[in-house]
Amino acid sequence: ELFGAVQISPLSSGYSLGSSNWIIQSHHEKVSYVSGSSLLTTHPQPMDQSSLKNSDVLILTGLTQMPTANPDGMLGEFCSNLAMTIRAGGNVLVPCYSSGVIYDLLECLYQFIESASLGTTPFYFISPVANSSLEFSQIFAEWLCHNKQTKVYLPEPPFPHAELIQTNKLKHYPSIHGDFSSEFRQPCVVFTGHPSLRFGDVVHFMELWGKSNLNTVIFTEPDFSYLDALAPYQPLAMKCVYCPIDTRLNFHQVSKLLKEVQPLNVVCPEQYTQPPVTQSHRSDLMLELQPPPMPYRRCSVLSLPFRRRYERVYILPELANSLVPSEVKAGVSVATVSAVLHSKDNKHTLQSVPKPPPVAPSKKRKRVIEEPPVTLSPKPLLSGAVPLEAFLATLQKQGITEVKVEETAEGHILHLQAEDTLIQLEEDGTHIVCDNNEPLRTTLRDLVLRFLQKL
Amino acid sequence: MDRECVLILPRVCEVLAASGSSLPDDTSLEKLLDWFTTITQTGVSLLEACPCLLDLLSNVAFNSTSGPSILSFTLKLAGLIGASEDGFKVLEECSVLGLVFDPRHWQEAGLWEDPCLRIGWIQGLKTILQHSKALRFFVQAGLIEPLLHLQTDSSLFVASAANQMLAHVLLLCESLSSVGCNGTKERDLEQSSLSMETNQNCSGVITKALEYLNKCLVLKETSQLSQRQQILKLLTQLLVQVRTPLLDKLLLTVIDSVEELVTKSCSQLTLPLMDVVLAANSRLSDDHDPKQRIGRLLSLMLSRNNPVDVIQAAAAWLRSRQYDPVHTAHCARVLLLPLDIVTGISLLDENSTAEELRILMTEQLKSKTCFSMICVCLTNIPQITLLAPDCLPCPQRRIVSAVLSLLKLCCGDTSSSSAGCVGVFRFVTGSSKVQKCSMEALSALSKSPEVEILLPEVFKLLTEYLNRPSSDPSVLQKSYQALINWIGVSTDLSCITGLLREDLIQAVRKRACDMRWEARDSTVEFLGHLAEVQSCRTSAGEEREPSNSLLGGCSFTVPLLKEALQDLESYVRASSISALGQTLTLSWQQGAALTQSQVEIVTRLQEILSQDSEGFARRAVVKYFIAWFSSCSSPTSCSLLVQSVPTVLSQGVADLDWEVKLHTLELAELLLDQAFPNPAPPHPYAVMSDQSHRSHTQDKESELLSSLNSLVDRGVISALFCFLVDCDRPVALKACQLLLKLRHTVCPLMVSAADTRVPCELPGWSWVHEIKKIQGVNKDPHTQGGSHIGSEAHGEAVEESTSAEGDSVCVSVCEVLRSLDLDERLSILTQSSDHIYNSPLSLLQDIITASTANSHPNSEPGQEVIVDCY
Repeated sequence: ELFGAVQISPLSSGYSLGSSNWIIQSHHEKVSYVSGSSLLTTHPQPMDQSSLKNSDVLILTGLTQMPTANPDGMLGEFCSNLAMTIRAGGNVLVPCYSSGVIYDLLECLYQFIESASLGTTPFYFISPVANSSLEFSQIFAEWLCHNKQTKVYLPEPPFPHAELIQTNKLKHYPSIHGDFSSEFRQPCVVFTGHPSLRFGDVVHFMELWGKSNLNTVIFTEPDFSYLDALAPYQPLAMKCVYCPIDTRLNFHQVSKLLKEVQPLNVVCPEQYTQPPVTQSHRSDLMLELQPPPMPYRRCSVLSLPFRRRYERVYILPELANSLVPSEVKAGVSVATVSAVLHSKDNKHTLQSVPKPPPVAPSKKRKRVIEEPPVTLSPKPLLSGAVPLEAFLATLQKQGITEVKVEETAEGHILHLQAEDTLIQLEEDGTHIVCDNNEPLRTTLRDLVLRFLQKL
Repeated sequence: MDRECVLILPRVCEVLAASGSSLPDDTSLEKLLDWFTTITQTGVSLLEACPCLLDLLSNVAFNSTSGPSILSFTLKLAGLIGASEDGFKVLEECSVLGLVFDPRHWQEAGLWEDPCLRIGWIQGLKTILQHSKALRFFVQAGLIEPLLHLQTDSSLFVASAANQMLAHVLLLCESLSSVGCNGTKERDLEQSSLSMETNQNCSGVITKALEYLNKCLVLKETSQLSQRQQILKLLTQLLVQVRTPLLDKLLLTVIDSVEELVTKSCSQLTLPLMDVVLAANSRLSDDHDPKQRIGRLLSLMLSRNNPVDVIQAAAAWLRSRQYDPVHTAHCARVLLLPLDIVTGISLLDENSTAEELRILMTEQLKSKTCFSMICVCLTNIPQITLLAPDCLPCPQRRIVSAVLSLLKLCCGDTSSSSAGCVGVFRFVTGSSKVQKCSMEALSALSKSPEVEILLPEVFKLLTEYLNRPSSDPSVLQKSYQALINWIGVSTDLSCITGLLREDLIQAVRKRACDMRWEARDSTVEFLGHLAEVQSCRTSAGEEREPSNSLLGGCSFTVPLLKEALQDLESYVRASSISALGQTLTLSWQQGAALTQSQVEIVTRLQEILSQDSEGFARRAVVKYFIAWFSSCSSPTSCSLLVQSVPTVLSQGVADLDWEVKLHTLELAELLLDQAFPNPAPPHPYAVMSDQSHRSHTQDKESELLSSLNSLVDRGVISALFCFLVDCDRPVALKACQLLLKLRHTVCPLMVSAADTRVPCELPGWSWVHEIKKIQGVNKDPHTQGGSHIGSEAHGEAVEESTSAEGDSVCVSVCEVLRSLDLDERLSILTQSSDHIYNSPLSLLQDIITASTANSHPNSEPGQEVIVDCY
């Protein structure tokens, strides 16, 4: 809860461990923020779609960077190139982050190793947080997919990389110094960061293996241009393969998702509203929604298309007890409330009006200024409508016979010609225009009040 | 007919007549009917052979308490009996005929509601309607009305059978009328009055049926669509089968209604209507009156404004293979139009296709229906490639370009389709279905004339597809097939640049490591097929194998395939073994020395044969050795092959998979053929002295002895003996045939003294028992063949020669060949394995047994096993 104004809740986005979507909601408004999400079956809990329903605004970001690259195809490409290099006696370098997609890569390789006869090839994961990343992934079972959760109850490690570590097929090191140097064996597969190739241990491997065309560097992170990343290492003999594995939502999936959750308004980056510049004919690579989404650019400020109209106010029980509701129509009762509105941290509470403290008997003469203010009881509120025919009949009984009735857009105007007085009967008010004839005005007022209810 | 069957049949008829409900196994009635049909087909009168059947018919017909399946059986049986004029007469005389085929009788008994009975009625009636008397009965009993009523039966099976029946009735009427027309003046009065009556009957039936057909065609209710489709199918069937004058009459009756349907343009009726029009068009010669009208209907169908309909109609025309240059050219244009619109490559001349159709089709292609339209267009390209050039709106080369362009669109590449229909791009991009159809079309187009020039472009695109990460395995397979077809287009592969070759090598190497086994399988299959493509010429002008020219030959292929022998998926292992065989065939034929790699392959293959848990791989191993043996220029000089064959045979014998065993027998047959090649026939007038004849015979005997010994040494003979008693019938049959061949070759020339000179060691005691069993059959005095020897003596002979170890048996080959009655064995094995259980006698006994079991006081209802066979 943020300052009592809104509640913010994370939802599983299905993308990877640690990723989430957000719901920002007040009592009467709801804004969803969809970031990198995935509908594919990978390691995390499936994306929570139902909680996104009934949003006033859905802010859509984090769609796939590679809408034309099928993640499954890329994963296959990754494995094929890896196996091909190892069979030819080369090494494979995979610049990657220390968590996220690497869990899926390791799982995929776990299945692939045997079929590709790579059982004897060592896999190294080098990162200062390699150990924690691999171990922490095994203990967040509540955020994992159903199959992995089930494994935990067996009990078995949810991720198969535990077995790879156990069988010494996967080894992890905090850095290339120390144990790694003595245990390093080639040909091998190394997972290390940073994917930009600008820092981290990957730099050493690029320099070590870059000169041999037997080796391959396989880029899997879609957030970096592999050509830019490789630029400083040119000329490079090693093979470079670009297999961006991006499991985030594509345009087709997001269209289906939006049809399902039906937000009133969608806000998204401007890029999503038009096809890519290089593929202008690909109308399938853009968002086509009705009503059209609100695009935004970097640093632009948007006013979201909804207005806060209501606020929730709490009422204390003792004050509620004192209310006298009267039914205005079946199932609807109203009551007047006299209370003190107490607002703190964006929470509003109606409290009883404090009673004046009893006057303590004193021999001293009270001073006028010390007397508490007299709290006047509020005037009753009126409701109901004045029926024209019945009102005219009542006027006639009172001897007012010369009445000219004029129909207006709001109601009626009654002109009491003899008295030179106007009575305006409208839906939400009645006015009596009567110059210098207070008794007549009072009489007319009382006649009107006869037809109204008092609260 | 078997005497025992004749004796038992009355009891069976009693059982059938008495059983109030169906028999537990419905199929027994079908089998019984099949048996009766077989008897009638031999020309035997069923009633004469089995008079009790008449009682069965009477009992069931007059007492309607039998179950529907027995009633249905009875109706069919009545049809079978009445199909002959004599049988018909008997049925008529005993009043059975009228009763069993009277629908009112069954309606009153409340049994007509059962579709089983209605099917029996239709099929029985169809069988009986073979002669004019039956037709007279059909007409007089007014059975045409219920038959017409059944055309729209609620049961689809009944309706379909009724359709067939109506066609049968009309065809019968046609044949009987034509006989009547051919009547000569010499016939007596009675004969001529009979034929007149028949003609009247025929005419009445034909008129009613045709009126009915016409009425059904013009029904206004759209709900009757399926009925109309059914009637159109019937009409097609009739148009194909009937002759003039019925053909003319039929067309005259329905042509207005058909025309009305054609002009109404109901999409669901396009295909059946087209079938009707095509059938009529093919049957009518140019001098027929309605020919022009049918031609106009055809033109109407082919010029509809609904693009989906017109494409279907055009495809139907091309499939029908009818020749009309105008229609054919029009259909080719219609079918090429979607490709023209989508790719923007002009396949049609400006004025050739109605602009309206182009506009409508362009709009239609922007919706999801584009898939079906494009796919129909692509699947008909093989037909289009067969058309004469004057029927095509453009050279076939241009169609290849359009297909290539479409394949590029499927990958999201629009560079070659700038004038294409942008609206359709979003649908075809990434569509595996369109990709597969396009690949098939591309394969078909490889046979087109003058397309060699496009080979580099095709090669480049196919290599790109093979390299694409998102290519579906089925698309990859089609890409490989297309590549093989296109590589065969030109004998000169010099147009394939080094860069393209490098791309292909890269793609193949990558796909051999693909995660999806289907992709790996297609890749190794491709390598095998490539090795079989005929040789081509390189840029340097030398003759080379395409495999060498494109991939670098065995040095590239063999290591990849060797790697695939370790694959986890058995299909891939099997394919890689086959591909290795295909790849190495040339070197075997040339008698090249074996490399170390080939020796390793043989070792690995033997491991697979002995250890692999999957049959596919083991079968492939045996086939590899068959291929090696049969293509090897001199099998005996290849020591590795000679050494390997006995191992393969012994492992094949021990295998549990019957196909492995059968392939092992094929290998054994090759060895037999090699040992005993067919001798050149002696010159018919050759003169040979006694001495030279004797010496020739001795030489021959010694030659045979040597060959036989060699076969024994290689394990061929022991394998054949073991397979002879194999539990799999095809295996035992093949072994028996080979042993007979061996006996014919060896035994006549071998004198008894030679017999003991060819001993053969057989593994295991079980074999001896089996041989004893076979020999035991020979004790039967009825057994044919003069070469049998008393089983006891031979049993002893076998036992006497048992080796001391006790785990193998030593036998004399010729002695065993003679003593086993292989001819008798062959006749037994030639029959199906269940011939005893499926004999008519067994069937009759089963029916009686089943009825006894049903009537047994202790049997509880619902406990019987109910078998439904369809």
